[in-house]
Amino acid sequence: MDVTMINPFINAAIEVLPQLGFQSVSHKGLTVKTKNIIASGVVVTLGIVGDKKGNVVYSIDKEGAKKIASIMMMGMPVDELDEMAKSALSELSNMLTANAGINFSNEGINVDISVPTLMYGEDIELSMNKDQIICSEFDVDGIKLEISIALA
Amino acid sequence: MESLKVMIVDDSTFSIAVLKKMLEKSGLEVVATALNMHEAIEKARLNTFDLITMDMTLPDGDGIECSREILKNDKTAKIIAISSMMDEEIIKNANAAGIKAYLQKPVNQSELNTSIERLFEGEELYRILSANFEEAFKESIFSFLKREIGGEILIEDNEPTSVSTSKSSGISVTIGMIGRHNGRCIIDMSDDTSMNMTKKILQDDSQSIDNAIAFLSEFTNVVAGNACSLLNGLNRSFGLRVSPPTVFRGNDITISIGDIKSKSYSIKTELGDVFMNVGFQKVGNEWM
Repeated sequence: MDVTMINPFINAAIEVLPQLGFQSVSHKGLTVKTKNIIASGVVVTLGIVGDKKGNVVYSIDKEGAKKIASIMMMGMPVDELDEMAKSALSELSNMLTANAGINFSNEGINVDISVPTLMYGEDIELSMNKDQIICSEFDVDGIKLEISIALA
Repeated sequence: MESLKVMIVDDSTFSIAVLKKMLEKSGLEVVATALNMHEAIEKARLNTFDLITMDMTLPDGDGIECSREILKNDKTAKIIAISSMMDEEIIKNANAAGIKAYLQKPVNQSELNTSIERLFEGEELYRILSANFEEAFKESIFSFLKREIGGEILIEDNEPTSVSTSKSSGISVTIGMIGRHNGRCIIDMSDDTSMNMTKKILQDDSQSIDNAIAFLSEFTNVVAGNACSLLNGLNRSFGLRVSPPTVFRGNDITISIGDIKSKSYSIKTELGDVFMNVGFQKVGNEWM
């Protein structure tokens, strides 16, 4: 899989997150994984179809997820992952992926995205139907956000 | 289009007369008119209209302010702006306020018809989709299991203990469905059930969990793909396509299902139980 495929997602994160009230967004780097990914906390996945087909998964640990939801809700305290907080995280994944979709279309690649599915738990083993998964790690106000894509 | 009820908001009685004639020609029924913002808000509060046409300049305010007020009381109100003024700034503001389309006066009949058709086409499609997706998915999963597993297959509507979450039994596969309206399908079962089904289908008792995951992944793909084909056959405008599956496996996974209007089923088979959740979300009309 072409590693540059992740760029529209990286640019989307850098562009969208500050608009939602996050102060510092830095991209920590890329890894290519061939095995299943293990994630703990909240994972949100969206399907992608069109000129490219695949999935994107956003993963954040539980504490980070609460902080992100809180910032997205204008600083409202989030003590547990209630419906409102989950909805904020789903919306975040929607915005990031839709924005990545726009970035793709600027390169002449047209994609459409599905509604997000959100799951949470400990030690979630994730497989995405591709041999290679590109993971991109972000530091968002001290919170680790991982974006994993399998697109072809 | 069968008698959609319309209110015309316009400060000119002449414009109202012209628009009334055109809307009636489009097959709509003009049931109210308002000459100013106050009257429009009041009438919208007391009645439900399928469509409101909105002039941008009103004696006691402007069409954007008026639309905002109406939408505050009824988020689903469909408002199209019809005004002599049309520039980038005002279109941007109208869009931000929740107005669905912007037409410039003088409006021609075909332009008006196109806007109205596009405005209601999505609604109608979503209604048809909502009325039919359950059957399509039930039929799809039933025929797969009947064919591959055999025995008695019982599909029950699942009334979850919580409307918003469901506990995974072990392996969860999710597939995105993308078309005029978007959705997703989740199929979940325990490691054991998945292993049992894989052994039965491959008629080989030496199966690894990886094979079981691969089976469940393909199973979900076939169920969602067949169901979407059935739905597309019903109405091609659904244009549903499925994304590749994503698999989640773990002892402690909670699936959030309350975010969209969805339906859950428990499917009982001789080899174990299967959980399925399917839902679609209405995608609004793009700005016209």
